[in-house]
Amino acid sequence: MTKMNCDHVIDYLNGTFTEEEMREFQLHLNSCEDCRELVEAVGELPYLAEAAEPPAGMKARILANVFDESHQQEPVKEETIKAQEPSIEAAQPAAKPAPKVVPMVKPPKERIWWRPMIAAVLLVSLLGNAYALMQLSDDDGDGGAQTEAAFQSIDLQASESFGGTAKAALVREGDSLEVVVQGEGLQALSGSEVYQIWLLKDGQPIPAGAFEADAGGQGAAFYQLEQNTEEWDTIAITLEPEAGNELPEGEIVLSAGL
Amino acid sequence: MENSSDFMLYRLIQDKDKDALEQLYDRYEKILFSFLLKMTEDRALAEEAMQEVFIKIWRGTGEYDESKGKFTSWLFTMSRNSAIDLIRKRKKPTVPLDEINDMADGDSSVEQKAEWQEQKDQIQTAVERLSAEQQKMIQLFYFKGHTHEAIAEICDLPLGTVKSRIRLALGKLKKSLHGVQEGGAIDD
Ligand SMILES: [Zn+2]
Repeated sequence: MTKMNCDHVIDYLNGTFTEEEMREFQLHLNSCEDCRELVEAVGELPYLAEAAEPPAGMKARILANVFDESHQQEPVKEETIKAQEPSIEAAQPAAKPAPKVVPMVKPPKERIWWRPMIAAVLLVSLLGNAYALMQLSDDDGDGGAQTEAAFQSIDLQASESFGGTAKAALVREGDSLEVVVQGEGLQALSGSEVYQIWLLKDGQPIPAGAFEADAGGQGAAFYQLEQNTEEWDTIAITLEPEAGNELPEGEIVLSAGL
Repeated sequence: MENSSDFMLYRLIQDKDKDALEQLYDRYEKILFSFLLKMTEDRALAEEAMQEVFIKIWRGTGEYDESKGKFTSWLFTMSRNSAIDLIRKRKKPTVPLDEINDMADGDSSVEQKAEWQEQKDQIQTAVERLSAEQQKMIQLFYFKGHTHEAIAEICDLPLGTVKSRIRLALGKLKKSLHGVQEGGAIDD
């Protein structure tokens, strides 16, 4: 290989070098003050940029994607998961109205990456294997094997005119409540419609995630309530005209008592 | 001092410390986004490039160590490469010549003060001391990420001389910045 000299500094800056060439040029840089100073001067050029305000939610989206280990393995199943709240997992268009859960409240460490895994496990097992889930939640670091988690699996009943079915799983762990819902045989949505999940107590609902149906009529959502203080008595899914409603506008299509 | 703490953060990140990555992100979010936006002229593309950068840092692709000079130089080079990849994939037609703004533009009385104003003032002064042709070279090569072929075409230069022109421009920039930092006039 030819010896690296000052002529190669442009290629170096352009990132067109192989790792081997990179190392070789590095040796040249160590011995050549001229090139080193040139590289340093070029390294000041980005400061010419005018200050721009980053898009809303960019930090949450980027960090979630960076920490999402499964990101590297082409997650096929997860494609159908379109959880609306908390909007940490999915890189959602910034235009959507921000849900009231602020994404970067710093969830406990290790939470972010295993969330999609729980949903995936449940998707695969159709909520049948609670044991796997318990093991997963034991791994989350705070409190080791002593973490008490209560798991409840529910079949939702379809309203008269609705053909689809859905199962839900509720996991209570300390103050937090996690809700996973998976639907099948769902009718296709039109426009901005979503399937919206609600938790109710004495007829008072709070939104608890939303999802869309894919071409095969399937959809799933994962939702976490960090501070769960209520004893919910009902879970329901409505067909909402749009995502982000704080109170249901659409018809209840699936529901169950808890 | 700032450098050593960047390097310390980077070491923690290599040990998969998520808080350290978040700190590094917070520290450079604004300048990186602004820089990537200047390059891509597209907010979504700038965000995508930004994500690539942090994925690379997290996975330890292209390791940094102190022998590679300033941490920011390394970070900016990697960011620029990510942006160039995306720009070339996008295959947007080449920017017509008259759309190329003067790189050191900006009516600084109107412009929002950047957090990096001090560095900006220095490099801007240094750039303004270059000839128009040298400024154009830096704009096309560094910020637009054009290939040498594209630059040859835009500037109507033989391909063989593009590289030496770029090198000349960057060499002048180096001297000029040196002059600014020394607080003196340009030294040639
Ligand atoms: Zn050299």
